[in-house]
Amino acid sequence: MDYEAVIGLEIHVQLKCATKMFCDCHNRPGDEPNQNICPICLWLPGAIPKFGREALEKATLTCLALNCDIQHQSAFDQKVYYYPDLPKGFQLSQFHRPLAKTGWLDIIGKDGAQERLRIHKIHMEEDVAKLVHETEGRTPISLVDFNRAGTPLVEIVTEPDIRSPHDAMEFIRALRTQIQYAGGSECSMEQGTLRVDANVSLRPCGTDQLNTKVEIKNMNSIRNIGDAIAYEIDRQARCLKAGEEIVLHTRLWDPEKGVTAPMRAKFEGPCVPDPSVPQIVISDEWLNEMRSRLPEMPGRKVERFVDQYGLTREQAVLMSSERELSEYFEAVVNQEIPACTVAHWIATQLLPALKERSQTFIDTPISAERFAGLLAMLERDEVNANSAKEVLARLFETDQTPRAIVEESGFRQVSDTAELEVLVDQVLAANPSAAEGFRNGRKKVLGFLIGQAMSVSQGKANPKLIREILIGRLS
Amino acid sequence: MHSDIFTYIDPSQPSTVAAGPLAAKSLAIQPNMSVRGWPTEAGSIALDRFVAVEDATVVKRLRTAGAKTMVSTRMSELGFGLAGDTAAQALAEGHADIALITDTMGEVRVAASTTGVFGFKPSYGTVSRFGLIGLVPSMECFGILAGKLEDIATVMVAISGSDDRDPSMPGFGPECELPDFSQVCEAKESIAVAGLVKEAVDGLGPSESEAFSAALSRLEKAGVKIQELSLPDFDLFRSVHNVIGSVEASSAGGKYDGVRYGHRSASAKNWNEMYLRSRGESFGLLVKTYMLQGAYFQFENYSAFEDACRIRARLVRKTEELFDKADLLVFPTRRPGFDAAAAGTINEVYDAFSLTLLANVTGMPALALPGLVFDGDVDPGLQLVGPRLSDARLLSVALCLAG
Repeated sequence: MDYEAVIGLEIHVQLKCATKMFCDCHNRPGDEPNQNICPICLWLPGAIPKFGREALEKATLTCLALNCDIQHQSAFDQKVYYYPDLPKGFQLSQFHRPLAKTGWLDIIGKDGAQERLRIHKIHMEEDVAKLVHETEGRTPISLVDFNRAGTPLVEIVTEPDIRSPHDAMEFIRALRTQIQYAGGSECSMEQGTLRVDANVSLRPCGTDQLNTKVEIKNMNSIRNIGDAIAYEIDRQARCLKAGEEIVLHTRLWDPEKGVTAPMRAKFEGPCVPDPSVPQIVISDEWLNEMRSRLPEMPGRKVERFVDQYGLTREQAVLMSSERELSEYFEAVVNQEIPACTVAHWIATQLLPALKERSQTFIDTPISAERFAGLLAMLERDEVNANSAKEVLARLFETDQTPRAIVEESGFRQVSDTAELEVLVDQVLAANPSAAEGFRNGRKKVLGFLIGQAMSVSQGKANPKLIREILIGRLS
Repeated sequence: MHSDIFTYIDPSQPSTVAAGPLAAKSLAIQPNMSVRGWPTEAGSIALDRFVAVEDATVVKRLRTAGAKTMVSTRMSELGFGLAGDTAAQALAEGHADIALITDTMGEVRVAASTTGVFGFKPSYGTVSRFGLIGLVPSMECFGILAGKLEDIATVMVAISGSDDRDPSMPGFGPECELPDFSQVCEAKESIAVAGLVKEAVDGLGPSESEAFSAALSRLEKAGVKIQELSLPDFDLFRSVHNVIGSVEASSAGGKYDGVRYGHRSASAKNWNEMYLRSRGESFGLLVKTYMLQGAYFQFENYSAFEDACRIRARLVRKTEELFDKADLLVFPTRRPGFDAAAAGTINEVYDAFSLTLLANVTGMPALALPGLVFDGDVDPGLQLVGPRLSDARLLSVALCLAG
């Protein structure tokens, strides 16, 4: 029998807020342990949680970016369980009345067709503290770092619409882009601001039942998510073929071994309405204000980049893939540089250079103005492509203008015809057999000869002119 | 002073002559009201050696009003009931003019009625709960015991009003304004009709009934018409308070795990055992039973809790409707046969507070008035209950009646 996978995702996103969800402590979990704590997030007796406006704003922007219906009334519940990382015996989470319901994201499936994947609900909740296990002498001890306790999160629960590891990865990519655009979160799996759990079950192809699912956790990258789901589908298919029953449980992905392994059953506590945090009431006016804060989202931006700038769809998708990148792209284009040149140079030169240096469009010394200055010289044939790449590398190291670097380092392209004719003659004299070969129809030799000329000129010659002169001389 | 009455006596002597409306008054609080640097054990081993790190908003405001020397009286575990509570005794023996205690199910009114002083429970949300170490967040609040109504009014002027550290106060919502206590003593409010809920007095014994009737006739002599009203579900206040109160207590007590403060069992081998033993050793039988009952509703019978929440909303509505026919409601305060101080089981506690729970469930203000009958053995006392946030008027009316 052939099976198809039924996959749902539970995604935790740490909101980009300056303070925690229920107190004014800095939202910086990575600081020195227990630096960002107060009586509220430590839940000292007598403390009362105070829900912060910023968390609601960032959560709402996130929900809007995922096309969800924001609920006019929502409320916090107490998710009751006991664990040393939970300072009050319950976690404040919106169980009964979530902030948002019924959203969706479009992805491109493996077959190239667009698919709409539905979101069931999005609710707000606080993160828990972090446990550090050490030993004191030979005694094992557990230390608690409360910096993370009370950090604002949203949990996004999808419908079980996903059918393949590819779609799951595409969904997460799309979700990350949308939320980053809206300014809701950094969404970095590496830094733990985006965490994904997957529920996987199988059913015979052509049926629509929902079978017992297995939850998988501990995927630390988008690739991990795809690999873990693929492994789990395969594992369950093997179980079913062997006649084994699938039981509800949780498994951990082991990225080293590339397998999932069962973990201790997790305790599901009850959820009781919290008597202290007031109900959240959202007005249409406030919601409209939040909507007006959303930037142009990537879907629409791709269309505009194609229409307005004549980019290929592929280029437009890349230039819209991050909000900062898209803004950088447009800033350079606005300096009167042809859009296709800008897109090409960002894609092939700037992005790899930034990646190599672990820089972003925000913190790189290559401002849009400097990059535009370089591309402008390229456009005016004042520098050739090879030299421009060298100039780009220098731009990372100095704060000089591209023009100053070109002048100082002699990168200026030689476009003086008389000078180039002398150069071509030298090359032809030094390579008589190649010249002969070209005359005998071996047209490929032209590339070799241009390369020789560029090399003799130390890369400064205008390759277009060299080519013209060479063809003139040889015909 | 007497250590059998007090848990803590502030050793610091005021360096300057106190100023402010409370400067001349001696004040007692309880060790579940946070005062920075004071032992704050709330009558529980769970808070063994816990010292508050900052002042409760109420304490801060009392000090601003001139209250300097404060003492802490003994209290029941986490303010649940009156067992071991010495606030009324401190007043009766003249150690304090005013005492603040938590009113979770009627403690301030029953203590007042037993001692012959005034006991005021404000509307839920008029006084900040920040720094109050309680058990049932949606029902409890600071209450005031005092021999003089004027003192209660002065304290309310000092401590009431919105506080951005307690966002559950109505001042934070659009729905209503908080009461203004500044004119309580001058307002000279009077009422025409006091509603008497038939079902509340049906259970009184013959001698209690007789004593309560005597109190009512004194009201009538003061020109108040007593109007008999009906609240057929009056008995449900008890069930609703019991179910919701125990569920909230179970959650509120969850923070006492011995991880950050309070009692930690010495003999545990791992954290799970540490939890079980520490919590097992921390709570007295009554509070432990109450929390366990709450956990039962949370884990095993959630629908009963949901029913209780629905019934609570209905009871609030039905009680509010009574104010269409009466200015205030009048109730006996306690059943003299049920000793609140001796109550050792949940049932006994609810027996002792069966007549005061209404104000906690509905969040309405209530005032226990002494001296209308006062015959220690049979006096069921008398309390006035007003609509939510009508606190200032309630006190003004009482001043006229008592004066």
